[in-house]
Amino acid sequence: MKNRFKVLRAERDWTQADLAAELDVSRQTIIAIEKGKYDPSLSLAFKAAKLFDMQIEAIFQAPQST
Amino acid sequence: MNDIQSKKTNNSIANKSKKNTKSLAIWTGAWLVSLALVAFGPLLLWDYHQTISFTAITLNLVMGYKMIMVNKQHLEDLDELQQRIHLVAMAMSLGVSMIFGAVYGLLESIRLVEFQPNPSGVLFVMGISYAVGMVLAHRKYS
Repeated sequence: MKNRFKVLRAERDWTQADLAAELDVSRQTIIAIEKGKYDPSLSLAFKAAKLFDMQIEAIFQAPQST
Repeated sequence: MNDIQSKKTNNSIANKSKKNTKSLAIWTGAWLVSLALVAFGPLLLWDYHQTISFTAITLNLVMGYKMIMVNKQHLEDLDELQQRIHLVAMAMSLGVSMIFGAVYGLLESIRLVEFQPNPSGVLFVMGISYAVGMVLAHRKYS
């Protein structure tokens, strides 16, 4: 699953540590999400959407089905 | 952002992890000391007095229970990715220990070794495979 974590974080001039503190996760989790190596749970996705003040689907994009 | 972050510092996942790791280290140390007491106390300290041995075993079990509970709390306070990493490591450790333990227990009966297999060998494999699992899972998600 693709996401816009890195872009949205950069737009707000936040560090990975800032975002991790806001979402109450480790910085390793933020790094893994930004690299697309880990898909967050639904509750963490909702938390991120609330923090960025956006709809979930504006942050996360499901892979295109063939 | 920095103000909000500083307010959250006390309850941050890093702080909880630090506190839980310290607590886990203390209780694991206490359990190890009580295990050493059970192992060496009868010979060196109380000349195989059964009541004292039972007391030492009870103390060891209490320490073990506390260590398990502290470890459970430690895992519950991790974030979702950290929990997944531990899950991968635990799955690997359980599988490897089961497979190793099963064949290790047969070595004497099929006359491949002369000695009685020691259960502590399985604990050693469990620890090593858990550590390897943690490293592999960390690499997968970083």
